[in-house]
Amino acid sequence: MNKPRIRTIAAAIALVAAAGGTFAIAASPADTIAARQANFKKMGGAMKVIKDELAGSADKAKMAGAAKTIAAMARAQVPLFPKGTGPGAGVKTDALPAIWTDRATFDGHAKKLIAEADKLVMVSGTGNAAAIGAQFKAVGGTCGACHKQFRADD
Amino acid sequence: MTEKVRVWDVPVRLFHWSLLGLFTFSWWSGENHEMEWHRQSGLLIVALLLFRVFWGLAGSRTARFAQFVKWPGEVLAYARKASDEHATDGHNPLGGWSVAALLLVLLTLVTAGLFSVDVDGLESGPLAGFLSFDGGRAAAEIHEIAFKAALTLIGLHVCAIGYYQFLVGRDLIGPMITGRRDLEAGETVESVRWSPLRALIGLAVILALVWAISKGFQFASAGDV
Repeated sequence: MNKPRIRTIAAAIALVAAAGGTFAIAASPADTIAARQANFKKMGGAMKVIKDELAGSADKAKMAGAAKTIAAMARAQVPLFPKGTGPGAGVKTDALPAIWTDRATFDGHAKKLIAEADKLVMVSGTGNAAAIGAQFKAVGGTCGACHKQFRADD
Repeated sequence: MTEKVRVWDVPVRLFHWSLLGLFTFSWWSGENHEMEWHRQSGLLIVALLLFRVFWGLAGSRTARFAQFVKWPGEVLAYARKASDEHATDGHNPLGGWSVAALLLVLLTLVTAGLFSVDVDGLESGPLAGFLSFDGGRAAAEIHEIAFKAALTLIGLHVCAIGYYQFLVGRDLIGPMITGRRDLEAGETVESVRWSPLRALIGLAVILALVWAISKGFQFASAGDV
């Protein structure tokens, strides 16, 4: 007599758990946009650390730490541009629709950024200011190239 | 031939027209992301503005703040009888405040620019090293707001000049170029006098300061970025 009821409750629990799980996997567009903006901000801050160090005391550890942040954030950004997180998402974003119409180019920029950021991590360990400066510019170049095409100008 | 009287000294006129040129160039270079040019141009504007502040204390009669920054009471009294005013050499009580406001806004604009950082942490003003990334981004916001305020004030300035030039029929643009205006019949006004030596000393000190600013007050840097 009690059995169907227990089954119903179990099914309900399973359903709620499944729904909860789905929510955890597919974050809302607003959350995704906020997450990638926070990552970009960390990257910008890390770029500034390197720039300031090169202009000042050139602290090797600080520069290496910042370079690692850039490389890690570059990787973290890759899954944060799913469809539906463009200007139509109802949240303020500078991401242009071109990201989703020209995805291959966008992904190419992302790959290039990761490669250049990894090189920056390597040279920052050497403490060679000239080499770090040159690689800093290479990383900056990939930021600029992608932004020119895929980010609204402010 | 009508007699002329000198109403604007050379430094004021050089300041005015160089500022116009550099402001336009800064606008263009900023919009087009020519940031190296934008920084250079901005630093020159810093020098110009500092010189103008110095000249407001040390310049000729019409250049001095004491001559054109008046108490609100005087400005009101002037505004009430503005219809029958006579030509004032230098800035009139209302225009004086417009000049003071423009100077303040431009000083805010360039100071914020010195501390600004772009979103990528890639381009920054020479003093951005003294602020955090967030601080630098806030400076960039102020830079943007001050730019819009400056455009508004410049618009007002141009309208006021246009009003006098074409509706009142008083030539204000000519004297800002040549420094001189026609003397009216029976009028006795002394020409403005200024000291080139004083101007040079002020300019030298200001250029040294701006050079130090351009280096971010760090004279031994590890690398050039």
